[in-house]
Amino acid sequence: MKLVRRAALFAVLALGHGLPARAQALPSEPLSFGDGRVTIGGDVSVSVAPEDTGFFNYTDYEHSALRLFRVGVTTSIGMGGHFTVLGELRSENGDRVHAYALYLRIRPWIDRPFDIQAGRVPPTFGAFARRAYATDNPLIAYPLAYQYLTSLRADALPVNADELLSMRGRGWLSSFSLGNRDPAAGLPLASAFRWDTGVQLHAASGMMDVTGAVTTGTLSNPLFADDNSGRQVAGRLSVHPITGLLLGASAARGPFVSTTAARGAVGDGRDGEFTQTALGGDIEYSHAYYLVRAETVLSEWKVPSVGWPAIDAPLRALATYVEGRYKVMPGVYVAGRIDHLGFSSVTGSRGPQTWEAPVTRVEVGGGYSIQRNLLLKVSWQYNTRDGGRVTRETLAAAQLVFWF
Amino acid sequence: MTAFSRRTRRRALTTTGLVALAIALPKPVAQGARNGAIAGRVELRRVASPVERRPTVADLGTPAAALDISDRLKSVVYLDSAPRGAFEQVETPRAVMDQHGERFVPHVLAITTGTIVDFPNSDHIYHNVFSLSKTRQFDLGRYASGHSKPVRFDRAGVVRVFCEIHSHMNAFILVFSHPFYSLTDNDGRYRIDNVPPGSYNVIAWNEGVSSEARPVIVPDGGVGELDFTLR
Repeated sequence: MKLVRRAALFAVLALGHGLPARAQALPSEPLSFGDGRVTIGGDVSVSVAPEDTGFFNYTDYEHSALRLFRVGVTTSIGMGGHFTVLGELRSENGDRVHAYALYLRIRPWIDRPFDIQAGRVPPTFGAFARRAYATDNPLIAYPLAYQYLTSLRADALPVNADELLSMRGRGWLSSFSLGNRDPAAGLPLASAFRWDTGVQLHAASGMMDVTGAVTTGTLSNPLFADDNSGRQVAGRLSVHPITGLLLGASAARGPFVSTTAARGAVGDGRDGEFTQTALGGDIEYSHAYYLVRAETVLSEWKVPSVGWPAIDAPLRALATYVEGRYKVMPGVYVAGRIDHLGFSSVTGSRGPQTWEAPVTRVEVGGGYSIQRNLLLKVSWQYNTRDGGRVTRETLAAAQLVFWF
Repeated sequence: MTAFSRRTRRRALTTTGLVALAIALPKPVAQGARNGAIAGRVELRRVASPVERRPTVADLGTPAAALDISDRLKSVVYLDSAPRGAFEQVETPRAVMDQHGERFVPHVLAITTGTIVDFPNSDHIYHNVFSLSKTRQFDLGRYASGHSKPVRFDRAGVVRVFCEIHSHMNAFILVFSHPFYSLTDNDGRYRIDNVPPGSYNVIAWNEGVSSEARPVIVPDGGVGELDFTLR
């Protein structure tokens, strides 16, 4: 009910933008101060959908990507050309405001495309996480690789394969007996909801961009302060051989199990062994009125082998999605995405089984620009899962997005 | 009345004025009279600032250089109502609005109804020109460097033009039903030539803000002087 009230308030405010008395009450361009040194932008989105009883779209135990009221304010403060401070403050469903991004960008040579970014930096890996904003996402849901919660956790570990398998399809609230025994949400392959903290280098040359970063957390568990003794190293190479075509390849590796959980499983000093390694590839092509994107993420987590039946191999997950958008007339588009998330098998007492329940999602929808910076999206999605309490679910959703 | 609502009203006046051109006729002109001109200066007391890029924190590096504001100082001065015979047009005029350096060049284009505007892309990246203005809605899709697409403007009014990919790119196209308008030069000076003698109401416009209509008399073969100040 609270969400509906907020949605209604936002709708009134946003739609009021089109009325004479309110037409200029909301900004349509970023606010700028101090000769352009300080620029403030923002985006507000409200997404409404029926209850997601299968937790297909949850980003943690309490938040669903389809039932979200998000306010984000981004700021850029330039200091003499070499230094820029960038930040985004964000609040979701009226929760406390947190710094989604906050970093210093250093450009050592003004006319050379080389930048150093330090702080809570944008994700190096993959393509979607940097365009997870409602304005950039043609649909409402997120790709499974960046949102769907597996049962795996950084602060709790299964004692054996049976315990891991018992959590199949319960990633929104999983619990294991090693480490933190309290039930909590599991990890996605890569999080689009938190950014990692560290140092990032980026260089561009002609048709090529190269980025590397060292950060405290991992793809699936970005952190502000480290919870183990290791760092993640990530890299990305992207090329755009012709206008409209972008090809990207990414890799990342870092310890993901917290020191506390690793100690509970195998004792002190071994938390650096339990890594998440990920490889990714992405492609985007656009021309005229259509845009097509595809991305695949392969993630492998090493977890301790403690009890019998043992988890004797790294746990793998492979997610792939293809999405497209076509503009049918000025201000109106249709879009669709097909998405699959699969998992490797482990052998429990009852034989081999995928360690998590594979998920497939089909989402179709569209958008209508009420005005240039006010977009109404609707979508319909069909989810299937080979396990868990709810194995099939259909959801319709609507989203209103305002940005400046 | 707040500054915002005042500005809104001015925008409404601008659009109404432009559309009204087609139906409002001024005083008759004596046969054999020589045409004159209206000239003057538009002083801007408003702070012109470029449309900054949205501070997209998700960029992995620094975006391109800051934008030039000089073309945001250009104003358009036009007759609120046109003389008889002003609507005769034989050829289909053409104009160009280029996309260069992530800017529309020119930033302000004034044309008459029926004009075809070409939108070439002179950058090495995609652009996607579109407008959701009621006067003329269009979306040219994405096209690469060296290509151009045309749009015909058949209704008088203000058309706001944007790029779907680069949110800081924007421009204005003012579509008139008559040829009695002029863009100011870098000093704010304008001159509307070939105006039949008579009395007219004149409006100055800059970046979506219009002045009140002000009267001026164009003498036989002479120049009616009129200055504006836009705040």
